[in-house]
Amino acid sequence: MPETVLEARHVNLNLAGKPVLEDVSLAIEHGHFMGIVGPNGAGKSSLLSLMIGANVASSGEMRLFGQTLSARSRGRLLNRVGYLHQLRGHQEHLPMRVENVVAMGLRRWRLPLWQQVGCESAIAEALEQVGMLDLRRRDFRQLSGGQVQRVRLARALVHQPELLLLDEPAAALDARHQQQLYVLLRRLCDDHRMSIIMVEHDIAAISSHVDSVACLNQRIHFHAMKGEQIPQDVWYSMYGKQMHVIAHDAGCIGCSHEDAA
Amino acid sequence: MLGSFFSSPVIQDALLPATLISLVTASMSVMIIAHRLSFLTVGVSHASLAGLGLAVTLSLPLLPTATVIACVLAVLLAWIPKSEGLSEDTGTGLLFAGSMALGIVLLSRVSQSEVNLFGLLFGDILTISPDEYRWLLLIAAVIMILLLVFARRWWSIAFDPVTAFASGLAVAPLRILLYATVGMTVMMCVKLAGIVLTTGMLVLPAATAWFWGRSLVGLWLMSMVVGLLGTYIGLYVAYQEDWPSGATVVLMMCVLFIISWGISWLKKQQEKKQSAPAS
Repeated sequence: MPETVLEARHVNLNLAGKPVLEDVSLAIEHGHFMGIVGPNGAGKSSLLSLMIGANVASSGEMRLFGQTLSARSRGRLLNRVGYLHQLRGHQEHLPMRVENVVAMGLRRWRLPLWQQVGCESAIAEALEQVGMLDLRRRDFRQLSGGQVQRVRLARALVHQPELLLLDEPAAALDARHQQQLYVLLRRLCDDHRMSIIMVEHDIAAISSHVDSVACLNQRIHFHAMKGEQIPQDVWYSMYGKQMHVIAHDAGCIGCSHEDAA
Repeated sequence: MLGSFFSSPVIQDALLPATLISLVTASMSVMIIAHRLSFLTVGVSHASLAGLGLAVTLSLPLLPTATVIACVLAVLLAWIPKSEGLSEDTGTGLLFAGSMALGIVLLSRVSQSEVNLFGLLFGDILTISPDEYRWLLLIAAVIMILLLVFARRWWSIAFDPVTAFASGLAVAPLRILLYATVGMTVMMCVKLAGIVLTTGMLVLPAATAWFWGRSLVGLWLMSMVVGLLGTYIGLYVAYQEDWPSGATVVLMMCVLFIISWGISWLKKQQEKKQSAPAS
């Protein structure tokens, strides 16, 4: 049986006295690409923040690489994790070149200033993967929103994490770069055995790339594997009765094959 | 003219400590701007009045006592606002007013000869005692070592605290250490620039370099050049014109800032002009 990279065991999270997550259990193995979808305020980002120890579960357990995530163990365990959070109205003010931003993702960046960071080839490779190598010397503050997002992804990738946690990574990207992003993530799972958990609210965009989709709204309503159908009542209980489910094709998770045109 | 400047015994005594202080404050100013802590330096520098007041009242050694109190207050400011739901801005404002008031009350009860209030407020590098100089050396060494060891981590937290935390960095302890270091730097700087002008020395060097820096190290080096230049020109003008030294140094840094800003503005205009016909 393949090793479990991340496991949530009956996790509950209350914030300011209100339940945000209820009895969430998840497990992800090496090379698995999981999408988490759900409406706004469903607790998707809170779940990711539990996975890096930024929030502490009210009850239940979060395990990374077979060990419990705690204030003590997180420094060591998170060395093997890459994380991309949502930027909300963030205005960058530190003067930095693109390649230096990526270098910050390296663990050698924590060395005292008299020691060189080096690792030029790892930085170049990460920038190449997101198609930003040409702009490596550019001032990070002058980039467009989509370029910023791609450089941030390169920063999350540069230390070759075993687990990648992404919170709406495609938010600032146009359709072409969105596709490129999903293809890249798929390749990282297949070729490098990287595990990815990606939060998105648009299931249609990701369903043909991921291995499974977890439907989250405070609790996990359904966890569909590739080719599996998500029942209509799951959609209704997550998003309300007024939504219409539009089916795509047979390769698409969550769609009913018979309904497909 | 320069010859008489350097041969003057007052300047000879002041030159080394002034160089030390300006190098350290210019280095720290990079972190202070990156973390947007300029108001913290205002708060802590004014709080040092309470520290000095306490030291005089309890007849403890002045600078060490004031330095410890400044560090404690800076660290409290990192802690209290978060746990009580206040903004850091509010906390600093409270501390600023409260400790200044305490300091004035305490110092009003001691005789003029014990504390040179004018020197405290506006800086007095020209009357530095050997004891104070040794203390400055020690503090400067501690600050520079902390900076060299933690600069990259502090920079990374300033850049994106969430990602820094997610990579496993102990963000909260590192931030507390930074605040304590700012506290130390402020106390060190009070000797040269005084309480009122300390923020100038802790903000202006990096602010002047900010237009040109493209990396942490580049910014740091440029900031040190600005700090040294401002200090030397300031001391020279103060000596020539018999102006107060701290104020003159800060004034010269302001001039350097305006020049740097102007050149950067002109350069941008030129770039606009060059790109206009092409588009």
